[in-house]
Amino acid sequence: MIEVNHLTKRYGNHCAVDDISFTVEDGCIYGLLGPNGAGKSTTMNVITGYLSATSGTVRIDGHDIVEEPREAKSCIGYLPEQPPLYTDMTVREYLMFVAELKGVRPKAARLESIERASGRTGLENMQQRLIRNLSKGYRQRVGIAATLLGDPKVIILDEPTVGLDPAQMIEIRSLIHDLGKTHTVILSSHILSEVQAVCDQVLIIAHGKLVAQGTPEELAGRLAARGVIAATALGGRDAVLAAVQGVAGLTNVQITAEKGDEVSFTASSEAGSDLRAALSKALADAGCPVLSLTSQSMSLEDVFLQLTEAADEAAPATEAPENTGNGTASAAACSEAAPAAGPTPADGDESAPVSEDAAGNAPTAEDGNVSQAADDGKEGE
Amino acid sequence: MKAIFKRELKSYFTGMIGYVVVAAIFAFISLYYTANNLVYASPDFATALYSTSLVMLFVLPALSMRSFADERRNKTDQLLLTSPVGIPSIVLGKYFAQLAVFAVPVLAACVMPLILSLFGTVSFISCYAALLGYFLVGAACIAVGTFISALTENQIISYLATFGALLVCYMINSIQTLFTSGNTLAFIVFCVILAVAAVLIGLLCKNVTVGSAVFCVGAVVLVLLFKLRPAWLLNAFNQALDALALFDPFIEFVSGMFTFSGVIYYLSVIALFLFLTGQALERRRWN
Repeated sequence: MIEVNHLTKRYGNHCAVDDISFTVEDGCIYGLLGPNGAGKSTTMNVITGYLSATSGTVRIDGHDIVEEPREAKSCIGYLPEQPPLYTDMTVREYLMFVAELKGVRPKAARLESIERASGRTGLENMQQRLIRNLSKGYRQRVGIAATLLGDPKVIILDEPTVGLDPAQMIEIRSLIHDLGKTHTVILSSHILSEVQAVCDQVLIIAHGKLVAQGTPEELAGRLAARGVIAATALGGRDAVLAAVQGVAGLTNVQITAEKGDEVSFTASSEAGSDLRAALSKALADAGCPVLSLTSQSMSLEDVFLQLTEAADEAAPATEAPENTGNGTASAAACSEAAPAAGPTPADGDESAPVSEDAAGNAPTAEDGNVSQAADDGKEGE
Repeated sequence: MKAIFKRELKSYFTGMIGYVVVAAIFAFISLYYTANNLVYASPDFATALYSTSLVMLFVLPALSMRSFADERRNKTDQLLLTSPVGIPSIVLGKYFAQLAVFAVPVLAACVMPLILSLFGTVSFISCYAALLGYFLVGAACIAVGTFISALTENQIISYLATFGALLVCYMINSIQTLFTSGNTLAFIVFCVILAVAAVLIGLLCKNVTVGSAVFCVGAVVLVLLFKLRPAWLLNAFNQALDALALFDPFIEFVSGMFTFSGVIYYLSVIALFLFLTGQALERRRWN
């Protein structure tokens, strides 16, 4: 069990981790999720004792990392973002070294420990290869095998799948899934689908703050519940707007384009309700022919972007990003993001632009593009 | 500590550096030994060692340059620092590995006086005392290099800085003769040192007033000393320079004066720099 209490890490004036507290229970896979520079690696480095916290405490299995570093560190196997491999050693030499470093004694126990770790990570046939000559995927496996030596209770993996090809990613993910059966695993990632596929618990970090926490289902349910309808109708801005606003349950109406009488707009609906029929009927009743009508659901990527961007905006702005009470999902998320700037009920039209910026734009982009952009981002890393 | 020692020692001989260091030191000792002792038939082995002490300045920084700089560049220090191993064990493991490499040519040189004794009488005590001095001065150089290596992640900077520091120590006697005349020079040097120290303190505390206060107090003390007891300044200055003369006790050993104060001097230099290395590693966690 890991308890992190009010952890803060500053680099000069820059606050990399800002008052994070969470508890990691035994036997689960935890995912730290956040964009680049959110403070994931720093958090992990502090937990493992590589860096010292500016303030706050970390206790691992009851051992404080600062006061009893030896006991605390022996509970952890840590794979940093860049695997700490000595490239002039063979796989076996390296694993022997790490096992000895972790105090696995005697030599027979070391050999057995290496045997097991290599078996789990599929390195049996690589023992005599120089690490320098291994591919990135195998290096990652060597790094993971090294974390398993000495049988630590907790395994911490910092972005274990970065830079791997898709097949390797899937292999490493299934390996992590396996590890979760015998160890407590904490991994960090900026890839949502990965965290969703592997983790039992997700902690979302943005700008050094813990923004949300829960199971992937909870988060998805809570955050991605809003549907967005995009439509184009004929009949002039005012008539169309009047018709759309007459539909109960539609909020956040936004004109996206106007071409003569053709008006394109998006509107949000609450979870679970499909308002396409109602909208179509309302427009027809108002004498505005519907030219197109599609329903877009928010992908997890959108939610993630929205959530981390909301944290971004909530920090400087004191206004609540969501106001009408209909957008429960976003309001819940943002109240997590910035408790100081909780949702102010019924603020009327004045804060509508804020909500459009904070929540409206992300979903209107095509799903494919958004996730593509996210993918590009991580490739560029 | 044992694991780090073994890995480190092995890696010196997986690459080139271990062999180069051993070969260079042994080659130069052999060269002077052949020329002085075998060809010229002098029983004085210590002089051969003394003649090769300059080689240490070039070779030993190559041994120590990578010890921590390389770990930091490859991020393998993350493995060491997150393992259940204390910082003292890490520093000592690495230091002893370097000592072991350096000990290879020194041990090989131990045979040389024995060979000489076949041809005549040789004072074994003075020979082996000089060899011990040679080993100690090398060990001190390695400790300095290890500390400098822990400050940077660039091996070349580490090498050059170590070389520069050792060169200053090597030449300190001739530098010192420049300063013996004139208390004013000592005063100026102390002022410069004070200014640098004040700036460093100010930066560390992130406080301008603290830095200025330190400088003002120090300057007043220096001026008073300069006016009232100018000789003190010069003496203190010379003693400080003496402490930097890393090779002086070795030269005494070579000239046949084995002193325990020399041995203790080297052991303290080693302890001080290894302690500073540990502190440098510890401090990095806080930045």
